[in-house]
Amino acid sequence: MTTRRTAAWAMAAMLGAIGGCRSEPAGRKAPADRAEALKQSLAVDVSGLKSADTQPLIIMDETPLQPPPRPADPLKLPEDDPLHWYDMEYAGWRGRKVNLPRSPGDGALGKRVICLRHMDHPYTTAYTRGMEKVAGACGIRLKTLTAGNADVNIQSQQVDQVVNERPDLVILFPVDATAVVPMLRKLNQAGVPIIASNLLPVDQGMPYVLTWTGPDDWGQFRMLAREFAKRMNHEGGYCIVRHMPGGSPFFSRTFSVVTELKKIAPRMKCFDMQTTLLEAEKTAQVVSGWITKYGAELKGIVSADDSGAQIGINEACRNAGREDIIRVAAGNSKVGMDFIKAGKLHGITYQSAEADGALPMKIAADWFNGKEDLKPVYYLPKHVITAKDVDQYMPAQW
Amino acid sequence: MTPSAPAPTRAAARPPGRARPFAKAAAAAYRYRVYLLCTIIFAVMGAAAPHFLTPGNFSNVLKGTSTNLPAAVGFTIVLIAGQLDLSVGSAMTMGGILVMGLSPSLGWAGAFGVAVLCGLGLGLTNGLLVAKARINSFIVTLGTMIIVYNAMAIYCRGGTIPATTFALSDFLQRPVVDLDPRGAPPALLWLTLWLTPRNLVSLAVMAAAAVFLRRTPAGRGLHLMGGNPQAAWYSGLHVDRYVIGAFALSGLLAAVGGAVVAAGEAAGSLKLGENSLMTIVAAVIIGGTSMEGGKGTVVGTTVALVALTALINGLSCLGAGHEVQLVASGLVLALIILYDAYWLHRRQRRRGQRKDLLEELQARAASDPPAGRGSQGAPSAPGPGREGRSHG
Repeated sequence: MTTRRTAAWAMAAMLGAIGGCRSEPAGRKAPADRAEALKQSLAVDVSGLKSADTQPLIIMDETPLQPPPRPADPLKLPEDDPLHWYDMEYAGWRGRKVNLPRSPGDGALGKRVICLRHMDHPYTTAYTRGMEKVAGACGIRLKTLTAGNADVNIQSQQVDQVVNERPDLVILFPVDATAVVPMLRKLNQAGVPIIASNLLPVDQGMPYVLTWTGPDDWGQFRMLAREFAKRMNHEGGYCIVRHMPGGSPFFSRTFSVVTELKKIAPRMKCFDMQTTLLEAEKTAQVVSGWITKYGAELKGIVSADDSGAQIGINEACRNAGREDIIRVAAGNSKVGMDFIKAGKLHGITYQSAEADGALPMKIAADWFNGKEDLKPVYYLPKHVITAKDVDQYMPAQW
Repeated sequence: MTPSAPAPTRAAARPPGRARPFAKAAAAAYRYRVYLLCTIIFAVMGAAAPHFLTPGNFSNVLKGTSTNLPAAVGFTIVLIAGQLDLSVGSAMTMGGILVMGLSPSLGWAGAFGVAVLCGLGLGLTNGLLVAKARINSFIVTLGTMIIVYNAMAIYCRGGTIPATTFALSDFLQRPVVDLDPRGAPPALLWLTLWLTPRNLVSLAVMAAAAVFLRRTPAGRGLHLMGGNPQAAWYSGLHVDRYVIGAFALSGLLAAVGGAVVAAGEAAGSLKLGENSLMTIVAAVIIGGTSMEGGKGTVVGTTVALVALTALINGLSCLGAGHEVQLVASGLVLALIILYDAYWLHRRQRRRGQRKDLLEELQARAASDPPAGRGSQGAPSAPGPGREGRSHG
């Protein structure tokens, strides 16, 4: 009986897992007539959709893209020179494209889109929610896959799976800005249209994508650096809690601050910068070490994350009796906004997770509807939330 | 009071040497459980998941398998030797990052050579610390795992190192027989699409390890040493050398695997081997390698890795979230371990009852002429009646 029982258990477990799968929504069926399908698709208006925080769902920065001239070899410049980061900050801005598929021009209705996300996280849950709202309104069938715990190998396997499944378009939220380049190339060679999202791939990957949408990390953090400098009276020492290695925020949320402060507040000095993998406990240890080492000279802390890492920062400041330290962070989670209201955090960047997910789907719908003159990148609007306007962004999306 | 003789069992009623047919089937199912599991997963996913049973997806499953296969083979060897190697994931990362980082200056061959040598060095360090310094392998490899990972983080400055050209990547990922998927017959695609140099390297590593473990004195010695180090020592085996050799092979194979994956993906990343350890451990255990050492096969590990990759891939085809995929793989692992434990318990209970002895005794009693009371000569086998009297 043992074998039978075990086989039955294995079968039940597998069927349970299959039953637990999120089935792909059927979507609305497109009319057989292409012109009619396009007409129905163009009639869809998503501009009235709202995020959970009651802000508009479809938002984008309309500022024209005007990159400065590229230095001959940016990497030869020092790291505190903003042009050292040229290829990251202005990745894809020059708009060179390779082998891009043509728009079918027959409407978004009934199209099948796969979204490859980097990991499961409250942010990506809200991101997917925003994407699903637009997909639902446009009658697009959406399937989402997650690359484990931000696992490059899994994302690579999922890219192979996408090539095998041949959807009408793929939205790719990269795990890694550099490692994604061969994946984008593979999808491009297979003729699968790609919109990259959230994490800006390095410049070499941008020719393969229709466009990229997401937050302007460099721009946002320059804006946050200006707010930080104002609160620091343009002087004093500061430290930076960095993002996780491997992604572009690891660099953008560090060196946009360093380069901007060097320009606008030369009397401010960066004492140290470390990654704590955004973990509260590890961050608390590192920040406690900074407070001990730099003492009263440490006046401010910039964090790449306003949730886990910020909890650690605030705990270390409280334990050391250093509530006077000025703190700013990337946001805007519920934790971060609650800290702003409590006066334990002085500024966070506004980054609507739902809008971040909705924008690539809106661009995809436009492309299905025949719009081919896409900008190389679409940024979300930039804003710094402070105690003055935090209530406008409540309830938090994640 | 006279103790009663054991009641005749159903087994005793059968002619000796004939086991129950179902017991035979159960034993076969237990012995080939990993193959059975793999077949079930392919059958269920083939029926349920769209796009699963296609040549392209089969190739994807094998590509996913080949990612972790060399490191899993190394891990199997170490586990057979009765040790643990937690540093295989970091060794993969090291192989991948070094091959990408050094290829612009040393060329691909030089970079591969250095990466593989570093893997070997890591394995030798682990082995020496375990065998000579007598430190538990769990502690040693936990330490080297952290050291190597962070050394690589310093080397690549937290970033990812891209390949300067896609030539090698294209070569490693392109099927050896490159057919046009739109025009070729599906049967041919099933046979050829997965035959990429990247997969073939992993399969070659697996085949070589299988031959080494089964057909060479060193391989058999490794089993003996893992199962009973004291007996191995009494047999004249150099136990320390076996431990060091097992770790050296593990480090080397993991670095080879990482280097091939990085070259295939055209990027060396810190995340390359970060999540591999758990998959490898699960596959090795499901594949039948004993945590106690002395028992296991790399073929079992490979089939288990294929099964786990197919399970994840099939669930992914169904649109399952990552958490569902993890739950499913965890359930499979738990079921296999439970099955193992139950089977072991049953076997031990059976041995405790000495059914075989009882069967033999009853068979003799049935065939021998009844011995007379007080008869002289050679003692005959005790029949039930006589046994009762002798205890009286």
